[in-house]
This record gives sequence, structure tokens and C-alpha cells, in this order.
Amino acid sequence: MKHHSSPVIEAFKHAILVAGALIVILPFYTMLSYSLKSPQEIETNTGGFAGAQAPMVDEYCVKLGQSRADCTSSPVAYNYSQAFKKAPLMRYLFNGAFVTASIFLIQVLVAVPAAYALSKLRWWGRETVFAMVLFCLLIPVHAIALPLYIMLAKVGLTNTYAALIIPWTISVFGIFLMRQFFKTVPDDLIDAARLDGMSEFSIVWRVMLPTAVPALMAFAIFSVVAHWNDYFWPRVVITGDRDLFTPPLGLREFRGGADGSAWGPMMATATIIVIPLIVAFLLAQKKFIEGITLSGMK
Amino acid sequence: MLVILITPVIVALVLSFTDYSLGNAGFDWVGGENYEKMFTRSTYEKMLGATLTYVLVVVPVSVFLGLGAALLINSLRWGGDFYKTIYFLPVMAALLAMAIVWEFTLHPSIGLINDTLTSGCDIGWVYSLASGAWYGNDPVSSWYGKGCSDGFPLWLGDRDYALWTVCFIGVWQAFGFNMVLYLAGLTSVPRQLYAAAEMDGVRSSWSRFWLITWPMLGPTTVFVVTITMIRSFQVFDTVEALTHGGPVKSTYVMMYAIFEKAIRHNLVGMGAAITVLFLAFVMLLTLAQRWLVERRVHYA
Repeated sequence: MKHHSSPVIEAFKHAILVAGALIVILPFYTMLSYSLKSPQEIETNTGGFAGAQAPMVDEYCVKLGQSRADCTSSPVAYNYSQAFKKAPLMRYLFNGAFVTASIFLIQVLVAVPAAYALSKLRWWGRETVFAMVLFCLLIPVHAIALPLYIMLAKVGLTNTYAALIIPWTISVFGIFLMRQFFKTVPDDLIDAARLDGMSEFSIVWRVMLPTAVPALMAFAIFSVVAHWNDYFWPRVVITGDRDLFTPPLGLREFRGGADGSAWGPMMATATIIVIPLIVAFLLAQKKFIEGITLSGMK
Repeated sequence: MLVILITPVIVALVLSFTDYSLGNAGFDWVGGENYEKMFTRSTYEKMLGATLTYVLVVVPVSVFLGLGAALLINSLRWGGDFYKTIYFLPVMAALLAMAIVWEFTLHPSIGLINDTLTSGCDIGWVYSLASGAWYGNDPVSSWYGKGCSDGFPLWLGDRDYALWTVCFIGVWQAFGFNMVLYLAGLTSVPRQLYAAAEMDGVRSSWSRFWLITWPMLGPTTVFVVTITMIRSFQVFDTVEALTHGGPVKSTYVMMYAIFEKAIRHNLVGMGAAITVLFLAFVMLLTLAQRWLVERRVHYA
């Protein structure tokens, strides 16, 4: 049973929520709007949301000796094409996708068998290992960034993909989450599989993994959101090699030369970096929110 | 796990008593010198001040807003999903990208915020409302009146405003996540409790909240507060992108200090000492949370 308030109170609630929504939306609005406008429109704050889209001439391009006609485009086209031209944005996006996907895959490869061993197999020292997992849950990865960085520097791994990936390969959170999930799988199922002659290895991947899909989804959300957006760790270990920049680092690179005319392209870059996750979220929001609920409350 | 998680903690602890720097062959033991510096020098005093202010502002505000939004959305007849989606957007967006966008929005001359504030100055009723003239306040001496005549704050460039602006962005980013956790908590409150309370004569929605909803949300609140605190201690993106700890170290938070000292200045020992302090804070928080949750479980 739900208590329904009067229409006046209901309208009042909507008013508060709309006001909040406007503040939340404001930077997204600014970002999209600036990515569509010409530099003049940005500076004078005219042109409404999308700008007038009057054709504009790229003076820099003219200086390079191209004809004026070739250098004329609409502000949208200019901003977004500059985003890809000024810095190797495709490369950054690829790095981001590659690093994020590798981290998640390795995390699953480690967490699923570990969780299986911790929940379904009996072996000497199991409780101790699980206690250690619980203890490690207390350590936030940021706190150990510095010693990790030094260890990686000692073995000469800074400025490599490995440096971006290795520290995140063991997710205690993932192990913990998977273990909680596996505990709910009946032992009979595993015994039946063993009677059918399956090896422990194939039990993990062919029996346990499919049952854990909802938990994996939840974990994927946390992992992907965190690593696609992460700025601190790449900033620490990738010190010069632009070929290894992840999208947030790439955006910062863009910021270095932030003179007035680059705002449009810069906002276009920001939009391109933010959009993949937002679109994924909009497409699968029910699952997203459920996933966070599922894992957040354990 | 040992290599990646536990060894670093020990390494940090050891390094914090040295003057090690990367590239040097050896190092000297300096005892508690790093710690002594941390508690006596004004830079680190400012660091602790900025970090604690950030945490003490962002945590309560974002938890309160998250709870408020969850309660409002939960009691709506329609449209709840719409607000849920919008409020959750900042959680998904790369904080660095959004920080830069906020920088433009807050830009003193072309930013939307100051632009809007300034355009209000010329509109009679807005000016009177915002400067307090409508209830007899002296408009020129009010915050808004001063802004109209002398220009509005630089926000990120002003030592009096920078930390608050960074806090604001922190709240903006964090509260949607808290809202989702509270919404989840609300679905687990048994409906029968409300019915029972109604029979016992609890009618106002305020007392319903205090007698049932709030106590039932206890475990959620403990969880939400801890996780928000840990995240707030880790604030880095906004500071590095927007203020570099300035102006006058007013936004010099811990994670940024670790980054600056250890990685940019190569004072690894000092960075390690800050790391150890940071770790101590976070461990304490998590242990407090465990303890609170366990106590709850015993009572329930």
C-alpha cells in the first residue's frame, strides 16, 4: 500500500525534483551546447542551444595553404573533426576500451575460480585465505598507488599497458561478490556434474559461470565505469607516452592548449569521452541500477 | 593478492620513514621526520584542513540529498524513473571531463553561472529579490548587490570560494549514487510496518518517516556514509584539473598531495607518509562501519 498525497503536494514534489534535475543537467547541457557552437557564439554566449550553424572559416587551415572553400565548414563539423585531428583521439578511445576490457576479463578469470574454491571446495587454509580477502576489502586501491608505482618503476614497467592493467587484475571485491553468489548454488548441482565426469575446471566455467551472470553484470558495471573514467592511475604511471593515453588523459592533453578557439573542439572531445557510458547506461538502465543495488548492499 | 595488495602497504610503511627518491641508489632512515613535518608545517596543516573540510561537506550534503531525492522519487505517482535517470547521469560520466565542463560553466567571464547572475542585475525584480531589497535589506551591501557592482566571484580562482566550488562538484557527482542505494534500501522496508503504524495512530508522514523509514534505513545509511567518505578522501580529478591545490593551497587535498610530493617532486618518503596517514583514516572508517553494522545485526 502506498500513501498518495494530494495533487498540490505532488506538484510541489515535482517542482523540487525538476529544479534539482536542472542543476544536474546543467554541465551536460553546457558541454553539448558548446560542442555545437562556433567560437564567437561561445564567447558572446549567443546562438541558443545549438548555435546558428553559420559556416565558419578555419583560419589555421587557410594558413596551411588550403583554399578558403576547403576550410569552411559548419561549427559542429569543425568542432568534432578538430577533436579527432588535434589529438589522436581514436587512439585514446582504443586504449581506453582495450585497458577497460582487459582489466575486466582478467578480473573475471581470477575471481571466478578463486570464488569457486572459496565457496565450494574444502581445503586446508581456506578460512585464512577468506579472512585475507575480507581484510583486503578494507584497502582502497588509491591508498597503495604510490608503493605500486614504485614497484612497477623498479621492474621498468611504467609507460606500458601492463602498468595500466596489472594493479587492477585482482579484484577482491569481485572475489567477494562471486563467492556470495556461488554460496547460493546448491551443492547437488556440482555433485551431479562431477558424477557426469566433468573436471573441476569445466565445472567452474560451464556450470558455475552461467549461474553467476547477474552478479557478473553487476561487477562489470563497477569495473567498467571505474576504469573507463579513471584518471588518477593513468596520470601516475603514464608519464609521457601519448600513445598509451586513456581518454581522460587525452582530454587533459587537449586542455593544455586551451585558448579561446579550442573550447568547441574540447567540449566535443569531452562529449565523445562521456557518451559511450551514458548511452550504455540509457540502454540498460534497469539492469545498471539493479546491478548496483545488488552488489552495493552486500 | 599478497603482491598487489598487502606488500604495497608494508612498502609504504617502510618508505615513510626514509628519504627515498626514485633513481637514487640508496636512502637514509630519517625516523619520524616525515611525520613530524606533516604535523608541524603549514602546508600539511592546510592539506588536512582542506581534506577534512571536503569530506565533512560532501558526505553529509550528498547523503542528505541522496536520501531526500530517494524519498521524493519513491513517493511520486509518476515520473520517478525519469528523475532517477537524470540524477544518475553524473555517476556515469568521467569526472575529469565533467570537471572541465564545470570550469567553463563557472568561468568568470563567459561561464553560464556568472552570465546568468550578471544578467539578473539589470532586471528590477530579480535584483530586488536576490539582493534582499524586497524585505528592506540594503541592496548594495548584500552579496548579490556587491556582485553586481564589483563582479561575481572567480569561483575556482578565489581562495575563499575554490574549496566550496570543488565541494559542490563533488556533491553533484556523488549524490546520484547515494540516491540509488537509498532507493534500494527503501524497497526492503516491509510494507506491513506502515500498515501497523497506521493502526497505532501514526498518521503524519513526518512521524512515519522518523518511526519506521529512518530506523529501517539504518544499515543503508551506515553503508552509504562510509562509502561516500572513502570516496571523498580520494578526491583527485577535480583538484588536479581545476585548481592544482591552489589558490594558496586552499584545495590541497590528500590524494593530490601524494601525487604532487611523491610523483612530481619525487619526494617518495613524504608521499609515503601521507599515504600511511590516508590509509589509517580509511581503515578506521571501514572498521567503524563494520562495528556499526555488526552491532545492528545483533539487535535485529
